Amino acid sequence: MSGDEKGPVLQFATFQSSVDEGFWHGLSSLKLNKLKTDETPISIMGFYTPCSNPHVSSHLTLLAESLPTEPSDGLPTATTHGNRNKCSVPGTLYNTNTLEGYQSLDKKGLLQAEGKKIWEDIRSGKAEEDSSVLLRFLVVSFADLKKFHFYYSIAFPAVVLDPPATLVDLRPASEWFTLEEAESVSACCNEWRMSSLTADVPFFLVCISSNSNATIRPLKDFKACQHEDQKILFAFYDPYHGPNNPGWPLRNYLAFISARWNINKVQFLCYRENRGFADLGLSLVGEALIQPSQAWQDEEHVPKVIGWELNKERKVSRRVDLSTSMDPTRMVVSAADLNLKLMRWRALPSLNLNMLSSTKCLLLGAGTLGCQVARMLMAWGVRKITLVDNGKVAMSNPLRQSLYTHDDSLKGGTKKALAAAESLRKIFPAVEGEGIVMSIPMPGHPVPSKDEKNVLDDCKRLHDLVESHDAVFLLTDTRESRWLPTLLCANANKLTITAALGFDSFLVMRHGSGPLSASYESKAESVSSLSARVEEMSLPQSDSKPRLGCYFCNDVVAPVDSTANRTLDQQCTVTRPGLAPIASALAVELFVGILHHPLGISAEAEFGNSLDSGSSEQPLGILPHQIRGALSQFSQMILVGHSSNSCTACCPTVVSEYRKRGLDFVLQAINHPTYLEDLTGLTELMKSANSFDLDWDNATDDDDDDCVEI
Amino acid sequence: MVSIKATCDGSLSSINFQIAAITFAEKWKKFNSDLPEWLWIDCSNRLGFAAHGVRDGYLSVQNVFFQIQRSLKEDYGECSSLNDYEEPFDIATLTTGDDGYWYDFHVVYSSSYSVPVLYFRARSSDGQPLNKDEIEKNLPTGSAKVLTDSKWTFITQEEHPYLNRPWYMLHPCGTSEWMKLILAGENPAIENRNEQYLISWFSVVGQVFGLKLPFEMLKSVG
Repeated sequence: MSGDEKGPVLQFATFQSSVDEGFWHGLSSLKLNKLKTDETPISIMGFYTPCSNPHVSSHLTLLAESLPTEPSDGLPTATTHGNRNKCSVPGTLYNTNTLEGYQSLDKKGLLQAEGKKIWEDIRSGKAEEDSSVLLRFLVVSFADLKKFHFYYSIAFPAVVLDPPATLVDLRPASEWFTLEEAESVSACCNEWRMSSLTADVPFFLVCISSNSNATIRPLKDFKACQHEDQKILFAFYDPYHGPNNPGWPLRNYLAFISARWNINKVQFLCYRENRGFADLGLSLVGEALIQPSQAWQDEEHVPKVIGWELNKERKVSRRVDLSTSMDPTRMVVSAADLNLKLMRWRALPSLNLNMLSSTKCLLLGAGTLGCQVARMLMAWGVRKITLVDNGKVAMSNPLRQSLYTHDDSLKGGTKKALAAAESLRKIFPAVEGEGIVMSIPMPGHPVPSKDEKNVLDDCKRLHDLVESHDAVFLLTDTRESRWLPTLLCANANKLTITAALGFDSFLVMRHGSGPLSASYESKAESVSSLSARVEEMSLPQSDSKPRLGCYFCNDVVAPVDSTANRTLDQQCTVTRPGLAPIASALAVELFVGILHHPLGISAEAEFGNSLDSGSSEQPLGILPHQIRGALSQFSQMILVGHSSNSCTACCPTVVSEYRKRGLDFVLQAINHPTYLEDLTGLTELMKSANSFDLDWDNATDDDDDDCVEI
Repeated sequence: MVSIKATCDGSLSSINFQIAAITFAEKWKKFNSDLPEWLWIDCSNRLGFAAHGVRDGYLSVQNVFFQIQRSLKEDYGECSSLNDYEEPFDIATLTTGDDGYWYDFHVVYSSSYSVPVLYFRARSSDGQPLNKDEIEKNLPTGSAKVLTDSKWTFITQEEHPYLNRPWYMLHPCGTSEWMKLILAGENPAIENRNEQYLISWFSVVGQVFGLKLPFEMLKSVG
């Protein structure tokens, strides 16, 4: 029964912490710039205010300002001194260098050590002068600065009273005070909170004289107040909001009152506010009974301390993941996405950004065209770009090839494909750029038998590259180097775009769909859903509408070696610098158009002024087949070229021969260019053309004036 | 001086924004006792000088608490594998914890769009910041619809112009258009034009988060 007279055990509501992101940002830079691997404990500052909301407690917050600018400094500078919204309390941070270090910290020991500091401040009387030391707290942490994960545990050390204190009475302050007292108490509390000298002092005395006049006195005046004839309430800023319990600060407060002044029957005031003013309905007044512990007589004795804060899962340790706001790569991805989303939102609601970002693009050639196309693709949100080139960066390249810098050309020059991929990553870290150093086997450049195996490997490799990508850009600098890729793309029915430059003219075109239905191979592998979709879209070749042509469809000769027997300046492609960017840009825009067209690569050729353009026009505009531009006229023409049944690259004969005989066929075509002409019947065609007699004599001269140069 | 012309196209000048912001904060404090106050954070000397009399700054309200009913699915998977020192409670402890999210809202003026912008960030009680998807998921049910339907408001991550850290905001590109519609019927010559602008603006964007302006505040600007 004796327990009941004293009342039930007094239960204190736990303090809660709130660590602002800024604290972790601050700790990261402190660690990177100053601390490095130093694990010395750091003095930090926490902030709290009295509860100001009947539903939610206020928290002890850690902000960027909680950290010192120099780790060896004392507590952070008192810029927040006297701030009513930030009552500062001292704390210690133990930051470890490794996760194992963090896990193996002696948490119990550290807590006890921190508690000992509080106890000593109580004993020595320091707490009277600076009462915030009663709220000293402890943080242990580990900052993973690669992943931007922060592990931490917080403790609010509290001296354990043994036996525990009991609660005699607890009620709202407005019920305990008389009306006059309440008015007076409110007034002086508000004054206390307004003055910058006292606003952040969390423990104080409320003395009420017999005439209901209340005054507030600092703790160190206690002895003096005792002898005056008045009621004394031990008041403190209470962060807790609930009506049935006092907040955590009361724990050490009671221990202090009992140990320092030998008072065992304590009347306390849990001060809480609303809208910046004292709220005596929310605030509580109570009475506690403490049973002094014998052990405290011993100077050396340090009482037991508890206080680790638990998270919702009842665990001490927690982890915060700040990668989305601290990891630069993730931030740049979301910034890039925003740009495209704005475009879709404001101008093009039907823009399919997911499709763009998942389309795998293969770029054959990493020169003036390849560099520009790659950049444009990234601007459209394409993430997977593979560049194929066997050359090295020459000193003149950086001027026209926008992915290279002077450094790439030094020491003989980095391999273009690799330098290009690296450059893409430097521009946009989230790109999946790959560079493949490889030559493209070409007809008309016969292969000596010792190199045969290598060339066949290259063919196979190219075949696999085409199969494993969704779109292929032919951006090489010779006609014959485009033959094999065109054949492979026709075979695999891939979205293929060709860009080719003359001195001041360019051609940008999309190849038509492949001549045969999906090959067994590509159906079985079904590399991407995009390719499969393209497969489904392609119309069977026997139907009404003819396929659109490829780069070779209009040619009546097979590709031959165009570089032999030329002088050096004729071997290099010399073009006006403005041409490559124009052609590359058009190539990419054409590509985006195809992706968004419901018929994909089987879409018909569209023209700007055609009558039926209204019905077929997509939001992005028309989808031409070929664009030929002349820079000397600043003009562009939109043309169409249908597929030829004698095309050396994409006609059904050639493609089925490839499927039948594979690399043997390719090798034969490379070594004997006339083979292709024979196979496709071009040889026959030319013979018959040559034997065609024309009677030129009757042509009239004045007809020539009507001829128009196209 | 009140610039009348500016508000007819749905925009607000920077000076008028500042005037309106201070009044907004005062009225909010007066009429809205449930939520924390707005504070004007002055940033005039940020660049080391104050540009001819313009008080640079923004409105801020911190620690707005949104309670949630359902239990959170939080990522504690890794933590449970750590060797936790689990303190047995003593009988003098009452464990507490709130189940909800904490939001900070800032109203910042955008000089490129000439409108106010609502910046915000959210975190759970454990300090874990919420990402965009989580924020959208936790919006009051009515407002998720506002976001998708209206196509004039969407959430995006952007660097806070004063704090230089990524925050989220309701993108302002559509603001002047819908403000034009809202203010269309109003008399452009009334005195508290700027105040009306800001209050009307907030009554729309605040809806996204279920922040309602008290009736008296709306009434006070007619």
